Amino acid sequence: MMSTSRKLLCLAAALLAANSGWAHHGSGISYDTTNLWTTWATVTEFNYLNPHPTMRFERTTKDGKVEQWVSELLAAPAQLARAGWTRNRSNEALKPGTHVKLYLGTSRVGGFSAIAMRIENEKGESIVGGLGENRGNAVDMDGVPGGLQPKKPLLGQTSGDR
Amino acid sequence: MANNSFVTRIACGFLAALALASVSAAALAQNPKAGNSSDTDTRAYNKHDFGGLWSHNPQEFGLPPCPECREQYPIPVPGYGYFGDVPARTPEGERKLQMTRHGRGFEPDSEGAKKYPNLDPAYKRAGLPAYSNDPEARCEMMGLARSIVMNGPNSAMEMVHTQANDRLIQNFEWYGDHRNIWMDGRKLPNPGDYLPGVNGYSVGQWQGDTLVVTSTGFDERQWVDMYGFPISENAILVERWERPSPNRLRVQLTLTDPVNYTRPWTSTVKAWALIPKEKMSISGWSGIFDDRCIPSDEALFNSFRNHAAGLGEK
Repeated sequence: MMSTSRKLLCLAAALLAANSGWAHHGSGISYDTTNLWTTWATVTEFNYLNPHPTMRFERTTKDGKVEQWVSELLAAPAQLARAGWTRNRSNEALKPGTHVKLYLGTSRVGGFSAIAMRIENEKGESIVGGLGENRGNAVDMDGVPGGLQPKKPLLGQTSGDR
Repeated sequence: MANNSFVTRIACGFLAALALASVSAAALAQNPKAGNSSDTDTRAYNKHDFGGLWSHNPQEFGLPPCPECREQYPIPVPGYGYFGDVPARTPEGERKLQMTRHGRGFEPDSEGAKKYPNLDPAYKRAGLPAYSNDPEARCEMMGLARSIVMNGPNSAMEMVHTQANDRLIQNFEWYGDHRNIWMDGRKLPNPGDYLPGVNGYSVGQWQGDTLVVTSTGFDERQWVDMYGFPISENAILVERWERPSPNRLRVQLTLTDPVNYTRPWTSTVKAWALIPKEKMSISGWSGIFDDRCIPSDEALFNSFRNHAAGLGEK
């Protein structure tokens, strides 16, 4: 049994590591990670590359429409490899056609773009993740058209083009 | 004459930097956070041996965490950087800073920006990364200070002493870059004799158990850190490296750059934990990764990232 102090130590370590991976490419600015949501999806493309892996997936809404989404993963390949998610293992786990449950933060400008904070296989196991993966208080939006979109979409030109 | 003037400027800058480095050393000794080491290893070790693999995230390798290896800046600015006692910029330095765009720090008028009214405005300029002109977003140069102060998951590094002990080589995992610290007694070069260096030109000498490294000749297209702070070619960067315990390495930097800053700038203390070779290993292959920024990979990533700014195909 892990002692409470050791659990707290591990939690602190995980949070520290999560923070360390967060700001490398400004992901915190691009995506709303305070309002996570989940959906089942089918992987159509996965790229295990620097600076962060990217993935395309499709999800089917309750009315039968198929949405095409793009996403990036939080962890960089070096971080994934050290967590045991080597390139071969990751590519196998997310090969096109794979059915996965995604914990997503939609881009702050809205649309079908998100960051995948956690990926689960059909058994509910975390895959292609590392320190920093996050369920948050994700709400189930499976089948809901558009998933969870920002209430006040950020206007891109006002944020970066100064 | 011009060359004499240049040499005088370099000499003055060097002396000023050395003087400030002494002050920094005192600050280092007095900084309780920097002085507290979580390393419980009491074995004897060589304080002048920096060789080995080092990481800010020892827990990533199954080792106990190193709290002092995380950023020690008192304000939790998103990202990681040089930090410390940020000086006012000269008009030229401010002009260059304002030309940079990136997605690091707080957004203007954001909750975080308002929470820290005394935080330098340079940290309150974040915009969508898709609009960034960060050299890193194009796999262009990181530069010396930025590579040293990077504190992310790919920031493992390696130190190698040559057999002749005339050079210390520092290998940075992210970008697969390296720098040479020449220990053979040579003087700093005149940067104008050749091209400015991505990592400048560095000479080192021991002052007690502190390795004092002085560098100049920086390519001005690099940033001091991810927040876009400029650096000039003739800036003097002094690093004071120490190995305070068997499994810890730390440094504090002082940048003297009168072109861009109104006074010398001392960073926060940066610390690393020693990672045994067998721990930094995958399938028996040990060491840091050759983790380069490949322009076509970065372009692919940016094509995804552009969607997050509404710039992708619909």
